[in-house]
Amino acid sequence: MNPTEIPAAGIPWSEAIAALDGGSAPPPAITDAQPLLRHWHPDHSAGGPRRLAVGASAGQDCPAALADLLQADALIDDIDIAGCATVSTEVLVIGGGGAGCIAALTAAEAGAKVLLTTKLGLGDSNTVMAEGGIQCAVGAEDSLQTHFEDTLRGGQMAGDRALVAALVGDGPASVRWLIERGMTFDMEEGQGPSGRLRRKRAGGTRVPRILSFRDVTGLEMMRVLREAAGLHPRITVWNRSPVVELLSDETGGCVGAVIYSLHLHRFVLIRARSVVMATGGAGRLHLNGFPTSNHLGATADGLVLAYRMGARLREPDSFQYHPTGIAWPPALRGQLISEAARSLGATLVNGHGHRFVDELSPRDVVAAAILRECGEGRGVLRDGCVGVLLDTPALERARPGILKTTLVTLCHLAHKAGIDPAREPVPVYPTLHYQNGGIAIGTDGGTEVPGLYCAGEVSGGIHGRNRLMGNALLELVGFGRRAGAAAAAFQPVRPSGRANLGHVQEWRRALVAAGLPLDVKAPVLFPPIAGFDLAADRALGRSDLSARSLEAALQVL
Amino acid sequence: MVNLTIDGRPASVPEGTTIVLAAATAGIALTTNVGCMGQGVCGACRALVRRTGEPEVRTALACETPVEDGMQVSFLDRVAPRRPHAYSETDLVDGWTAYERVLAVFPEAVRCRHCSGCDRACPKGLEVQKGVNLAASGDIAGAAAVFDLCVMCNLCVAACPEHIAPNHLGLFARRLAAAGTQRPADLIRRLHEITSGAMTIDADACTDKQP
Repeated sequence: MNPTEIPAAGIPWSEAIAALDGGSAPPPAITDAQPLLRHWHPDHSAGGPRRLAVGASAGQDCPAALADLLQADALIDDIDIAGCATVSTEVLVIGGGGAGCIAALTAAEAGAKVLLTTKLGLGDSNTVMAEGGIQCAVGAEDSLQTHFEDTLRGGQMAGDRALVAALVGDGPASVRWLIERGMTFDMEEGQGPSGRLRRKRAGGTRVPRILSFRDVTGLEMMRVLREAAGLHPRITVWNRSPVVELLSDETGGCVGAVIYSLHLHRFVLIRARSVVMATGGAGRLHLNGFPTSNHLGATADGLVLAYRMGARLREPDSFQYHPTGIAWPPALRGQLISEAARSLGATLVNGHGHRFVDELSPRDVVAAAILRECGEGRGVLRDGCVGVLLDTPALERARPGILKTTLVTLCHLAHKAGIDPAREPVPVYPTLHYQNGGIAIGTDGGTEVPGLYCAGEVSGGIHGRNRLMGNALLELVGFGRRAGAAAAAFQPVRPSGRANLGHVQEWRRALVAAGLPLDVKAPVLFPPIAGFDLAADRALGRSDLSARSLEAALQVL
Repeated sequence: MVNLTIDGRPASVPEGTTIVLAAATAGIALTTNVGCMGQGVCGACRALVRRTGEPEVRTALACETPVEDGMQVSFLDRVAPRRPHAYSETDLVDGWTAYERVLAVFPEAVRCRHCSGCDRACPKGLEVQKGVNLAASGDIAGAAAVFDLCVMCNLCVAACPEHIAPNHLGLFARRLAAAGTQRPADLIRRLHEITSGAMTIDADACTDKQP
């Protein structure tokens, strides 16, 4: 189902507001979610998926727009990097979000010399935007086993059991690690810092398990990680340095990468003993025409490069559409309203004022139910934007003051939209939020390419076909640490002097053999809205820099 | 349509558009000083803004500021502190000496001139100067609370004539308060249950049937 195909039929805003009485009956129970998902979830959109023809996951389906990039030609050729300045490090971390910073910190704490490169600025990532929180089974009525089962079931049983067990088992130690680095968590009302952690419930879980800092958990986490990584003496950070290709040796192992410096307008080669890919997700590809909650940089760069080098994908056809992106006004469409609102009791109602789904079902189910309401004409129309209503006034009436004290980000977004959430409901519509699958990894974050590790959203296998709230932040801590430690310890079996684009030549032969075009290039680095043109930008380049002054120039940014 | 100037380029966009999106339509490449595109949490899109009829130039985050007719906007690169205020995780643990380390790592903090430059520079409206003064007088928890919603845009770094790096001081206070004092009883108990082997995971036990 494509949102552009949604019938413009719906219930006008004024009628929907009049129908809203706040005392709506409970929603119908869903015994089997599969028919709803198959008919309404965008992962199953007719004519959408394409079968991959080349690479380690040939034969698997994924959205057409992503398949085009996964099966694209490289941005660069040998001639582009001939004579390029080269720097060396022990561990190269690509990506400056939560997973990248944690992998870099862990590798550096293990004694490795680390270079972290990032497309935008350190910390400018989806992590900083995370609102809801982090799952961790600390409750007396909770257990690792319950968390394990909730995660596996929430992912439609598609997750890798060993990875899920690692994720869940790492939870308490991961939270301790964060506190030791100076991250604050909310405590239960009236309890001091030695009391119990405050817990919220996430959709698809049996017990409250979300730990948070107000509704800016990602901001609190990311500013601590950014400071810690920035201050660590063994970590060097290069901002404004998107990765354009990986480097291989003659055995196919990963031995570094090529970055493009937006500051110097030129390519730089980085040789490394091992590489951690932590480039995040793909929301800015606007798959199936959906709006996105994602950061500007989420363009699947790392996914594309790791796949080109031979890494295998898992569930590349599965994406999370967060149920509650704001639906109106158009300028803000797609921005996120945290699941915390529903977790605290806010209901979803259609244009008739009726609840239509248990608001704390897994996200895929809630999103599909919203798309069904809109697709069958029970959505609400405002200035041509369709959605359903998040009944924030009823929540405020039931728990006076809760919006201002606990849902800071929601109020901030509503204010920008010109909505007073205490008096008016907020129109919502699913927004492309998270890549459920990704590069297949083992429990140490390792891929099938020697020397290449992955952590965070770019990796797959943990969340199956649907991620639960709070498991993304948990994953990036646990697997950021696992990948960072393994990358620091990695020693190639046969150390080779070579670092070149050998794998790109093989890839091109495969593309030609499969009859695929060579005029599509990837990674895209920036979405079209950014207006970036690599060729034009390169023309601004300076050629008068020695390797030494170049390194100095990159570090001060 | 609203007409404004961004980095010297004219832009004409519908009312309600944010400065960041207006910049894109004006042909400015959004490859730096941009990030979360509207949530206002990554602190990357620092901008100087002058509105019609206002003599003063104000700061703003471009992704959460709607355009106004006649507005003049300049994006600002991230300003790095003149010198890094370096410390390590081991500096965070001992609450008894936290104040000593605040004074040692941020010696400029006691020299605050009370010029409120940082307050005016903060696009989030935080009481930055109050936070600096609380930290400099030893109220670490009080200072930490002031910086609850700081997005680390570094505009106060640029504004401070004493090079205090107020937001980094605030973050140091937050990290000291958390790492030094937060010891959740339920987390500690769960960690004990895991390390003692009392709590484990049976990875084969789960079926897709809800219990």
